[in-house]
Amino acid sequence: MTGLVTVLGSGAMTNTINGILDGDCMLVIGSNTTETHPIIGLRMLEAVKKGSKLIVADPRRIKLCDSSEYWMQQRPGTDGPLINALCHVIIRDGLEDKQYIEERAENFESFKDSVADCTPEWAEKITGVPAAVIEDVARTFAQAERAGIYYTMGITQHTSGTNNVYCLANLAVITGNLGKPGAGLNPLRGQNNVQGASDMGCLPTFFPGYQRCDDQAARDKFAKIWDCSVSDKPGLMATEFGDAIHDGKLAGLWVMGENPMVSDPNSSHVKKAFEQLECLVVQDIFLTETAEIADVVLPAASFAEKDGTFVNTERKVQRVRRAIAPPGDARDDLSIINMVSNRILGNRDGDYHGISDPVFHTVPPFASEIFSEITECWVAMAGMSYERLETESLAWPCPDKDHPGTPILHEERFPRGKAWLSAISWDGPAENPDDEYPFVLTTGRVLYQYHTGTMTRRSEVLENSAPAAYLEMNALDAERLRLADNEMVSASSRRGTIELAVRISDRITEGLVFIPFHYKEASANLLTNDALDPHCKIPEAKVCAIKITKLETV
Amino acid sequence: MSTVTLTIDGNEIFAESGLTILEVAKRAEITIPTLCYVKDKPTDNPCEICVVEVEGEDELMRSCVTLVRDGMQVQSESERVIVHRQDRLAIISETHFGDCKAPCNLTCPGQINVQGYIAHVAKGEYEEALRLVMERNPMPFSVGRVCPRFCETRCRRLLIDEPVSINHLKRFVADWCMRHEIDLKIPKDKPTGKRIAVIGGGPAGLTAAWFLTRKGHEVTIFEAAPKLGGALRYGFPDYKIPREIVDYEVNAILRMGINIRLSQRWGKDFTLQDLKDTGFDATFIAIGATVDIPFDVPCTDKENVYTASNFLRMINEGRKLDLGLKAAVIGGNNIAMEVARTLVREGVEQVTIVYPRSRLEMPANQRNVKEAETEGVQFLLMASPSGLCAVPDDNNRLKLDLIRMKLGEPDKKGKRAILPIPGSTNSLSVDTVVSSLGQMAVNGMMTGGELETQLKLKPGGMFSANPRSAETSVDGVFAGGDAATGTKSVIQAVVSARRAANNINAYVMSCEKDPVDNRFNFTRGKSFDDVSLKNFDGIGVTLREKMPTRPPEVSTQDYDEVKLGFTEKMAKREAERCLKCGCTAFERCDLKRLDIDLKVNINKTGMGKEPLYPIDTSHRAITVDPNKCIFCGRCERACAYDALEVKAHSMDEMERPVGLVIDFKENCVSCGKCVENCSTGALNKNNRIVPIQAEDVREVRTTCPYCGTGCQMILKVKGQTLMEITADPEVGPNFGDLCVKGRFGHNFIQHPDRLKTPLIRREKGMPLEPVKWDEALDFMGQAFSKILGERGPDALAGLSSARCTTEENYAFQKFFRAGIGTNNVDHCARY
Repeated sequence: MTGLVTVLGSGAMTNTINGILDGDCMLVIGSNTTETHPIIGLRMLEAVKKGSKLIVADPRRIKLCDSSEYWMQQRPGTDGPLINALCHVIIRDGLEDKQYIEERAENFESFKDSVADCTPEWAEKITGVPAAVIEDVARTFAQAERAGIYYTMGITQHTSGTNNVYCLANLAVITGNLGKPGAGLNPLRGQNNVQGASDMGCLPTFFPGYQRCDDQAARDKFAKIWDCSVSDKPGLMATEFGDAIHDGKLAGLWVMGENPMVSDPNSSHVKKAFEQLECLVVQDIFLTETAEIADVVLPAASFAEKDGTFVNTERKVQRVRRAIAPPGDARDDLSIINMVSNRILGNRDGDYHGISDPVFHTVPPFASEIFSEITECWVAMAGMSYERLETESLAWPCPDKDHPGTPILHEERFPRGKAWLSAISWDGPAENPDDEYPFVLTTGRVLYQYHTGTMTRRSEVLENSAPAAYLEMNALDAERLRLADNEMVSASSRRGTIELAVRISDRITEGLVFIPFHYKEASANLLTNDALDPHCKIPEAKVCAIKITKLETV
Repeated sequence: MSTVTLTIDGNEIFAESGLTILEVAKRAEITIPTLCYVKDKPTDNPCEICVVEVEGEDELMRSCVTLVRDGMQVQSESERVIVHRQDRLAIISETHFGDCKAPCNLTCPGQINVQGYIAHVAKGEYEEALRLVMERNPMPFSVGRVCPRFCETRCRRLLIDEPVSINHLKRFVADWCMRHEIDLKIPKDKPTGKRIAVIGGGPAGLTAAWFLTRKGHEVTIFEAAPKLGGALRYGFPDYKIPREIVDYEVNAILRMGINIRLSQRWGKDFTLQDLKDTGFDATFIAIGATVDIPFDVPCTDKENVYTASNFLRMINEGRKLDLGLKAAVIGGNNIAMEVARTLVREGVEQVTIVYPRSRLEMPANQRNVKEAETEGVQFLLMASPSGLCAVPDDNNRLKLDLIRMKLGEPDKKGKRAILPIPGSTNSLSVDTVVSSLGQMAVNGMMTGGELETQLKLKPGGMFSANPRSAETSVDGVFAGGDAATGTKSVIQAVVSARRAANNINAYVMSCEKDPVDNRFNFTRGKSFDDVSLKNFDGIGVTLREKMPTRPPEVSTQDYDEVKLGFTEKMAKREAERCLKCGCTAFERCDLKRLDIDLKVNINKTGMGKEPLYPIDTSHRAITVDPNKCIFCGRCERACAYDALEVKAHSMDEMERPVGLVIDFKENCVSCGKCVENCSTGALNKNNRIVPIQAEDVREVRTTCPYCGTGCQMILKVKGQTLMEITADPEVGPNFGDLCVKGRFGHNFIQHPDRLKTPLIRREKGMPLEPVKWDEALDFMGQAFSKILGERGPDALAGLSSARCTTEENYAFQKFFRAGIGTNNVDHCARY
């Protein structure tokens, strides 16, 4: 998100999901879309049937490759050079959209200089993608009337994550693919409400609506709405919590609906830090690994047990409606926040004692009231209301109540005016394979599981379909290690060791292995690297070096 | 785009040209039925249900492929069209093989969703199981102990080994929820302002009060006794339904918010007119049948002679009676069995039941007869009491004169008369006689006031009430339960009262009654003889679980419960024996719906008689029953991945498939869209375990909680239980598509691992312990306040979630920024 905000002034998918069907070309990079976003993947396959050209860039031969025109099998962590080489070819051959660049972009000349040396041959050496393929892909992409870029964590979960996003933005801008249907720069959000959580300012440097905490005007605005003073000091990023706890700066933490002990890279480090907290509060629907070490566990509600909204990956604000009551004494999360606020901040009036709702036990203010407050805080949602959401599908920005919402961003201009073309050099991943740790590990998801599996692993059909972790490996590597399919191995990095079965596959190249990160019994994130991107502090979960040894059966 | 004008059934319609009649009709909200239509995907094997008559065309036209033309005149419901549809449906239905509803469900007087709750038990979802039972029966504890189990007599498992022990499972879930203090969270409607009086706090009165309260009415129960429960408390002895169980059940019902007036006897303490005058909008009479039919034999001595209800009431009230060592019980009904077993517990050494017919003819449930026998009760059959006049000839207090009986000619109904055998008199010396010859509601006339005298009674001493509407001869006064039907089982009282409540609601609200269930039913065989044994190929023998029971020599020493109830493991094992006869596509089956709509009588036109194909469970998420397939091909054409193949080896003379093959290809991603497009139950989701029948299914539109696509979905909810997730083809971004997680990934919601109570760790190193909210909030509040006070706001931080709602995220960061005063708030997936 940091990347997109810098270049374009806004960090979200620029186009719509169903707009995929209007495009002529798709570049899918670092996204195993059919497994992680199945319905978006389905639209891509439908678009291919309608004649749109699909280009996939992924170290693994993911399912989309079966329908693609081109597959670029870049080495993990080399996305930047690959994209720069595409830009190089486009500019070299004069295929860039000159008028668009003239009208909508700045810093083109210095950008042009920066990719002058990024020839396909140079990129081939780094990425492993044949120069000829890079040439073809560049032309196909540039010559398409409407070309969309789709990416996920495969692009961002790197120490160079932010830079990778800059590179993709450059590609979209120089080909004039922002601000029209069927095109755009489209990060596909991995979780139901990443967009909403970001929009609402659950970010250490932004208030709701990306209004900066270091901006006096923004502070004044929120001080007025909330009737209190607000701090200008930037908060800690989640990835900095661990060190802050070690340093004694952070003593109390409230975790709502997250399981960082499994989802975060180098998770044993996270555990050590959390155990040092004076008070760890975890609010969740299951006793997650993180909840197990908490001091207070608050039983929360599933999506089916609460009212509210989720903002989807295309910025559409959509209603979530309560269908059933939470089990036992569990409460919906908003009521829990309200109860805690009332208790700690001393507003007993709204305390739950006075509430006579024997089935749902909700505590005000309710979701609809909160939503009204949100619309006061942020102009992009100012025109929305629960009444409108009953019948309309509204993507922000939607500044007034007659506004139809904005399915496609940047049609006229970018929020920062013109798009900034940034010169990006490439540093490579933080950790490369060596003699001791000869394999590159990349992580990801499978269709049947989701995130740390707290939900999917308790849903029979899904768990039975993908019940155990595995390590996907090329047949040649397996032969070298004398491993048979399904044989148990131990996989270790400098940070940890896990044991799991080998799955021999022709979808992965030599030297590279893949482990899905859903499984706590063989948690891939015990191995991954918590080295951070310097800009947005995202950890490099997608590349690290590991070694693999056969487990001797007793 | 050009437009055309046409008429459908006389309605003038303007439509885009290039559309089919079916599409145009749909947009004009005229429903043309079809079984095979998938938009933009025509079929080679049309169902021909969608035919219409077009002016000027000799043949009927298929509306799904006929394009509209200007000036076209279409008849979509002419007789010729209807007859053709009926013919087609009859042909299609003839090979459809399966059960709509399971036999247990059809046989249960309460029409309880038996298969559904058993399925929940098998999955360990006991709370959900109990909610499903309570949807139609608020007395699972009592019924689970004393039900005659009509359902079990029809259980098809009998054809393999033994019926499923259905009733023990009901009792298990009720007891389990009681033991685990489960709050079932059964909601009630908004207050209506209507007041309803219920006379009698037994099973019928409590049931009616429960359902009427749920409808939002204010209900008051008037009970003559000092405690509620009626027959449950004063009729059934403790060893059958322990007192604390009755208390729990009654309290669970009262928690719904019901007023009670105890020790108020109708006719003495108040009249119907009084109720009317105090503002009750309707009255429900549910006083049960508690007046014993007198023991009408010549008799000199009334001492030590009791009638059954009175006797049981006295014992249940704790009265100590001098009963002697030998007793006779006159009668063969259920109450007689309980009387006999009670006498055994009261220390009577020899208890004899005297009955004028054979044992099998006893009106008592044979199970009860057997239980009495096990406890040492003796039976003197084919004998009738003729008097109690004779003076005892030994140490006993009474001499019961008897005459032996024989069977005579059968009457019109086939029941054989009993005739005394002349000269066969003999006698039985006893100390106590209890007669159990049946009960009535009122002996003689109902007294009290004017309205009471207007209440018509039936000859047997019951209130005359319409069995469907429960209306009596007095406006606004309804009657149900034993008081109207005569002595029946608890479940029958519950059903009668539930039906009455539905009518009372319609009466006070001046609205329509809930519709009655349609009796239309495909069946694998009505009677056991009709059921092909091929249905059970591959199912091995697993005998039913044996109910843990205290041995008679111990159990007859006290009034503690004889049957101890299933353990959890036994319940699960027993539930797994269920054959799942009923169709879980019940509510979405288009074939059934159209057969009903078009009045096709499948009992005449025919249905499948035996299974031709095995049921295929090899797919991870979908069960395939080709016996139900009608070869409409919707599944195949709806699949966005082209991952499903439906083939037939050949076609029969009626163009129906022979040698059907339904195959999922390797590229199937288990999204389940085919199931939602199946026109019958040939394709079914494995995790759709409960057949959704009749009432109370809510559809809630919401957003999928998995990835960021934000698919819109529909949650099908029954009570507080999520049954299924589907999608609306008209609503984006997914337009009817969902992935395997969206359609199948929701069992976690009712998973037993869910956190149900706050936990705190009082000190580091100690375990987490469950506490009430109050304590958890105080604990957290104190810890956070201490840190805030000692170290300032930046020593606290919040980690929010991309899984939570926008509103929750807003409130969370506001708590930290505005409440605590720090910007230390982040979420895990912000990149």
